Amino acid sequence: MKETIKLGVILMIITVVSAGVLAISNNLTKDRIAELEMAGSLESLKEIFGDSADFKPLDEGKLDEIKGSTPSVLEIFEVYDGDALIGYAIKNVSKGFGGDLVLLTGFNIDGTVAGLDVLEHSETPGLGAKAEEPEFRNKFVGKSTSEAITVEAISGATVTTDGVLAGVNEAREIFNNQLSN
Amino acid sequence: MKLSKILKDGIINDNPTLVQLIGMCSTLAVSTNVVNSFAMGMAVIAVLVGSNLVISILRNVIPDKIRIPAFIVVIATFVTIVEMFMKAYAPPIYEALGIFLPLIVVNCIILARAEAFASKNGIIASIVDGIGMGLGYTVALVALGAIRELFGAGTILGKAVLPASYQPAGIFVMPPGAFILLGIMIGIFNLARKKKSSSQA
Repeated sequence: MKETIKLGVILMIITVVSAGVLAISNNLTKDRIAELEMAGSLESLKEIFGDSADFKPLDEGKLDEIKGSTPSVLEIFEVYDGDALIGYAIKNVSKGFGGDLVLLTGFNIDGTVAGLDVLEHSETPGLGAKAEEPEFRNKFVGKSTSEAITVEAISGATVTTDGVLAGVNEAREIFNNQLSN
Repeated sequence: MKLSKILKDGIINDNPTLVQLIGMCSTLAVSTNVVNSFAMGMAVIAVLVGSNLVISILRNVIPDKIRIPAFIVVIATFVTIVEMFMKAYAPPIYEALGIFLPLIVVNCIILARAEAFASKNGIIASIVDGIGMGLGYTVALVALGAIRELFGAGTILGKAVLPASYQPAGIFVMPPGAFILLGIMIGIFNLARKKKSSSQA
């Protein structure tokens, strides 16, 4: 009995010290990580809509409402050219072959796809990983949002392609039903 | 034991990947190209040196009965630290390594060295052992990564080295290709090792 308590106490000390060390390193890195994540989204947004566009996060109440009905949505941005609203960008998660795909899809207000970026993925290099290359992503540009979007699959990576398409089409429905009107 | 021997054991005589055959899962998964292999090797060295150091310091404090959970807590702490700093300061590599970075926690190389070496040896020797084993892992991983990248994508470090007419053999970047190559590498390495030891004898 006494020994059990002793063992428990030793293990507890080790875990408490570990937790302390982790808290310190979290404090040292968390600001930079948040900054990088924001910068990553911003860079992709500029790639899709051009350098001159401005981006504002969608009104929080509305974002929560959309997240309530579609939990895979992470962020939504309004895109402005000067004062005029020219489009939306939706960041959401879909399932790929190797894990989650984090996608950012831009929509022009006139109902076409402005562009797509694959922000995070764990697809097979040389196959599904081609989804992040412009050659594949550019196939989405200009597609109409009035019908389900399809593109030619990446050869050898049907599951990845389907995952991207599912994510893009989910974003398209949000754009059609909850944003553009 | 001499420190130079500990170092040499880690890299050659007891190479974790090519002789001990431990930590295979991450070896096969991450070695698709040189950069990922090198980054994974560095992450493993950092964790291995850190955990060997702490476990060696605590080796007389940790009771035998709870040594495994204690080791795992120490290892997990170092892995999480490496993960946080990599995410903050080397995000492309963090993304490339993906799930295999946190999975270093369960990489048997690290637990094996904690159990077999650091819990029985002094601080300096344990650090050297961590460096040696880590380098052994890195060398094997980079070699495998270089071959897979060269034949699987026709590039080295992302630069095209084979003529554009070369049709990349997809098998090399897939897991089966990694198995085949690793088998060949282990064979060649052990043949060379045996020849050397018999010529010394």
